[in-house]
Amino acid sequence: MIAAPALFLALVSFWEMVVVSRVRVRAPSERDWQALSAAVRAAHRPGDLIVFAPGWIDPLGRHYLGDLIPLEMAGRMDAARYPVIWEVSERGARARETADLEPDRSQDFGRLTLRHYRQRAAVVVTDFAAALPGAEVSGRSRGAPSVLLEEVGFEPHRCVVVVPAPDQTVRIRYPAVELGAELVGHVGLADVFTRRDVRDPARLVVSIDGRTVADLTVGVDDGWVRFRALTTPHAGAVVEIAATAIGPRARDRRVCFAAEARR
Amino acid sequence: MRIPGQRVRRRLIAAALAVAALIAVLATQRHTGIARDEVPYMTSGAKYARWWIDFASLRDGTTSERRITDTFGGAHPTDNNREHPPLMKTLFGLSRILFCDVLGWASELTASRLPTAVLHAAAVAMIFGLGAQLWGSAAGLFAALLFLLMPRALFHAGLATFDAPMVALWLATLLAYHRSLASRWWSIGLAVAFGLALATKHNALMLPGVILPHYAWVAWRRSRVAVGDPAADPSSAAARPGRLVRLRGFVRALVRIQPFLVPALAVGGPLVLIAVWPWLWFDTVQHVRDWISFHTHHVHYNFEYLGENYNHPPFPWHVALVTTLFTVPVATLAAAVVGAAHTAARVRRGTAVDPDRAPVLLMALSAAVAMGVFLIPTTPIFGAEKHWAPAMPTFCLLAGAGIISAGDRVWRALVMRRWIPVTGGFARPAGAIAVGLLVASAALSETVAAQPYPLSSYNALAGGAPGGADLGMNRQFWGVAARGALPYLDEHVAPASGQPPVPVYTHDASPAWGLYRRLGLLRAGLPDAGGEERGVQRSRAALVIHERHFARHDIMIWREYGTVQPAFVLTFQGVPLVSVYLRPPPLRQDVGH
Repeated sequence: MIAAPALFLALVSFWEMVVVSRVRVRAPSERDWQALSAAVRAAHRPGDLIVFAPGWIDPLGRHYLGDLIPLEMAGRMDAARYPVIWEVSERGARARETADLEPDRSQDFGRLTLRHYRQRAAVVVTDFAAALPGAEVSGRSRGAPSVLLEEVGFEPHRCVVVVPAPDQTVRIRYPAVELGAELVGHVGLADVFTRRDVRDPARLVVSIDGRTVADLTVGVDDGWVRFRALTTPHAGAVVEIAATAIGPRARDRRVCFAAEARR
Repeated sequence: MRIPGQRVRRRLIAAALAVAALIAVLATQRHTGIARDEVPYMTSGAKYARWWIDFASLRDGTTSERRITDTFGGAHPTDNNREHPPLMKTLFGLSRILFCDVLGWASELTASRLPTAVLHAAAVAMIFGLGAQLWGSAAGLFAALLFLLMPRALFHAGLATFDAPMVALWLATLLAYHRSLASRWWSIGLAVAFGLALATKHNALMLPGVILPHYAWVAWRRSRVAVGDPAADPSSAAARPGRLVRLRGFVRALVRIQPFLVPALAVGGPLVLIAVWPWLWFDTVQHVRDWISFHTHHVHYNFEYLGENYNHPPFPWHVALVTTLFTVPVATLAAAVVGAAHTAARVRRGTAVDPDRAPVLLMALSAAVAMGVFLIPTTPIFGAEKHWAPAMPTFCLLAGAGIISAGDRVWRALVMRRWIPVTGGFARPAGAIAVGLLVASAALSETVAAQPYPLSSYNALAGGAPGGADLGMNRQFWGVAARGALPYLDEHVAPASGQPPVPVYTHDASPAWGLYRRLGLLRAGLPDAGGEERGVQRSRAALVIHERHFARHDIMIWREYGTVQPAFVLTFQGVPLVSVYLRPPPLRQDVGH
């Protein structure tokens, strides 16, 4: 026992040298990426979603496969509308989009793993971002609501951006909406710097034919928050989405929402 | 009694270590990109240096309020970089003028970085000196080596910034104070060192928080010994003196041990600060207030830590501890733990080194204060390990002690088993040397592996850069890694002669762009496109230096270029550091990283 400290230091030192020497070797090589890229390209169909795990390999993944990822896909609200998902994984990681799925195919390419998933895709009957031009807008805001690719929760999201004046509400009324069995959406505050400098939250209220089906308050650290309401399938519904900047100091609340009525 | 030969030997070792450190820093910085903050420091430093040259030349008007304001001050909080004291910037400027402009021995960048490297080398020598004094030359040697082999400390030592100099001057202040406990004359050294530390960076303001509690402890202990209190002097057979006697003894000790301590800290140090900062030569109180107020109202940086992006208090209290755990070589930390246990055991046994001046307590307080401020959740978020770097010498000194203690125990184990004789000559230091070399080798492997991106590097405990990324630790800051993308831009993006320029959106590398061009690291025809949306719109190529909150730059580029596909991704241990996008139709689409 008297020599235990020396033994401890020797073991730690050896272990550290071994770990350090292996870190670089364990990174996927250019060849791994190219082989995986070729395999994806051979079987990929337009509309297949490609995701990367862990998230930090995303730039590398886009470097090799980014031409198969349109902006709309990169800024998706969620993965529900994609019947096929390709997952490029390193270090055994899983993407959020495949968490509840089982792969029907999996292949290793050196340090990378390619997994193929199928799911029952959601059928979108109304995309509220795409339907924005037909909506009626009321309330005080900075500029008119518009559909943009924005950063929310440090991720890209294509959404309707509305910036209500402080303590004001902007109502976006969709006059004749086709509804399905559910209405699913996400909301968050865009832009990291305005989130840092102004800490006040925003509120989003969704109502269908005058009945509130979702009422959320989103803060600066909440990211991309999901909401869902069961609906009765029919055409001609009046859907109103009201965004409020809560409080007199709530300037620059870039409320960013996306929503879909799904069959 | 000190052996003269030993003193000379130690000085020679200290000098050799300093030279080795200087060479190591200057060699590694050659591959280091330009940190965003270096550029304003170098620019201001050149102005300050020219002012001092004019001052020394007795040029008319140099000391006019207007000339001083134009050089060091200004109406706005960041005019002429007035938010930071001038010492290091002035040295950067003087070094650049001497070694680049006059002698032509070094580039503008290397010449500007030289003063930091010199101070880091001095810190290595000081750590050796203190370690040798406390636990012998071998302990000092390993402590100094382990400090030199800290990947992030070595990185900061090669930049024209303030963090490595702050470590050196923080340490110099503590050493001067420690000496002042034995010699009143050293209070002058204390005032000078503290003043220079104040003139380097505002975290020097925390130094009294180390010195004053330590001084109180020293005074308390000496007063107890003086009045024969058995609590402080177990050999004393006297009855415990009364409370009033003890209090009187304590006050007397406070006044007598170093009567010039408070004047040195409260008057001498500030006078040195004022002497080297001409902006404080007038409206002193207001200018000091402006300086401090900038930092107390400092904007919160975005900083990723354990998967969350923090840019507003409260910041987790454990960030300094966990970041240290993941960035200092593990073997060094382990040796420091052994050293701390060994030192604590000695204190318990009443065999602490120099209990009269308590140097180990001083270094422990130094680390506690340097890191402790960042345990307060409301401390502004500056980010990164560099802010509590003055704690690192303490870790290294303890590691030196740990190595010696562990080696000594090996020797004792061998003696107990009678495998070697008690008077085994070389056998006793051999154990410590073997352990020390192993620990230093581990630290060396971390330091080598971290090049040239130590800010993205994490230690074996974290799992290297990929482990750091998995843990959600900060990827990098200051835009340093942009340098790694320059060869790609040169080769694949730079226009041929006679072709129109290709503006590049550079975001965090923007301040360094012109300097890269002047240093010949970037070909002509790749101007900075400017900032934010308009810069992206003007650009034909774009960089994104990956930090979590910089995802917004990717998105701006995607919107403008209509593609999410970077043409090039710079990686470190497989972790993306920089993406380069080309506006379609691509100038040339290359694959590789």
